[in-house]
Amino acid sequence: MSTYVYGIAAASHPALPKDVAGVGDPPRPVRILKEGELAAIVSDTPGGLRPKRRDLLAHQNVLSEAGAGGPVLPMRFDSIALDDDAVVQVLHERTEHYLERLTALEGRVEYNVKASHDQEAVLQRVVMENPELRALVEAGRKADGGDYQDRLRLGEMVAAAVQSREEEDAAELQSVLEPAAEAVSTGPESTGWLANLSFLVPQDSAEEFLAAVERVPRKHPHLNVRVNGPLPPYSFVEPGPAGPAASTTNTATDEE
Amino acid sequence: MTVVPTQQTGGGGGSSGLYDVLELVLDRGLVIDAFVRVSLVGIEILKIDIRVVVASVDTYLRFAEACNRLDLEAGPRRTPGLPDLVGEITESGVRGKSKGALTGAAQTISDASKRDAGQGQRRPPKAAPGRMKREEEE
Repeated sequence: MSTYVYGIAAASHPALPKDVAGVGDPPRPVRILKEGELAAIVSDTPGGLRPKRRDLLAHQNVLSEAGAGGPVLPMRFDSIALDDDAVVQVLHERTEHYLERLTALEGRVEYNVKASHDQEAVLQRVVMENPELRALVEAGRKADGGDYQDRLRLGEMVAAAVQSREEEDAAELQSVLEPAAEAVSTGPESTGWLANLSFLVPQDSAEEFLAAVERVPRKHPHLNVRVNGPLPPYSFVEPGPAGPAASTTNTATDEE
Repeated sequence: MTVVPTQQTGGGGGSSGLYDVLELVLDRGLVIDAFVRVSLVGIEILKIDIRVVVASVDTYLRFAEACNRLDLEAGPRRTPGLPDLVGEITESGVRGKSKGALTGAAQTISDASKRDAGQGQRRPPKAAPGRMKREEEE
């Protein structure tokens, strides 16, 4: 029976999860494997595990509950060891490294911030700020929208302006929030957002960080900002010493 | 093409929560080489290059049309901020509040994987002749 690993904590963690539902249907009960000063939060691996809602949710819930009681190094979803002994072996071999990371992350949580443009507001903004674009829009209206080539040219210019605005706004967002956090990690680009940033924030200054987030759309009304947290520090655990350092994620892990 | 449903940003607060952390759960976190990961084929679809999407004829025409609807006399519109989203996702709140969002997310992933598998390659921007034609004839 292979072993599904949720995360690694100190053996002295005051509230390791007990009787929590893990991945699988029916949910496999979560249990704790201890080795020296470390503990692994694990369960049996269900057959046919896929990244489905129930199991992703279970993974996240186990880590949230554990993280509420003390520092935990969250594993990526779907980390499976051959058996319990293999987990214990890893804890044993890399005790020093994981203890160092747990100490570095103690009392800190991750907040993930994603920003996107309110489309109408950003179009308004780029057109009003750029006389050439504004003239093109006005000329197009007089010509009842203009012909296909006109509209294509206008659209291309607007798209370029919006894209450069996205880059500026992403940089602005990061520079505004960075001072309220200890570290920042850039997430992958996608079509859903112009910025995808994770911040490592001390728990006792979380309110200040959230206040800084709230100020962003007030100052920049064309930005929609979403914040998620507190989360286990997914973006601030580094790969193991012999792990695949070249992750496909564009991660800038802070070394403390 | 868009992976993130935009309607999630509005409404009752925490519903976008777990969807937004999905990529963290799947793509970050500790990786240990002694542990295998077997179930994640197709997840790369989350990382679509935004530039490919923006630089398409469809996008240009959409932008041009949207610009024609702008009120050039008005000042910048204020959009409501999202202070009620801030801090909605707490440890205790994750389970209940996020369930709906993740339903959508998992669906999106499986759709995306299917489409990816069936299509192999992304449709080039110019492959929208029907739409262009309609626009031209207006």
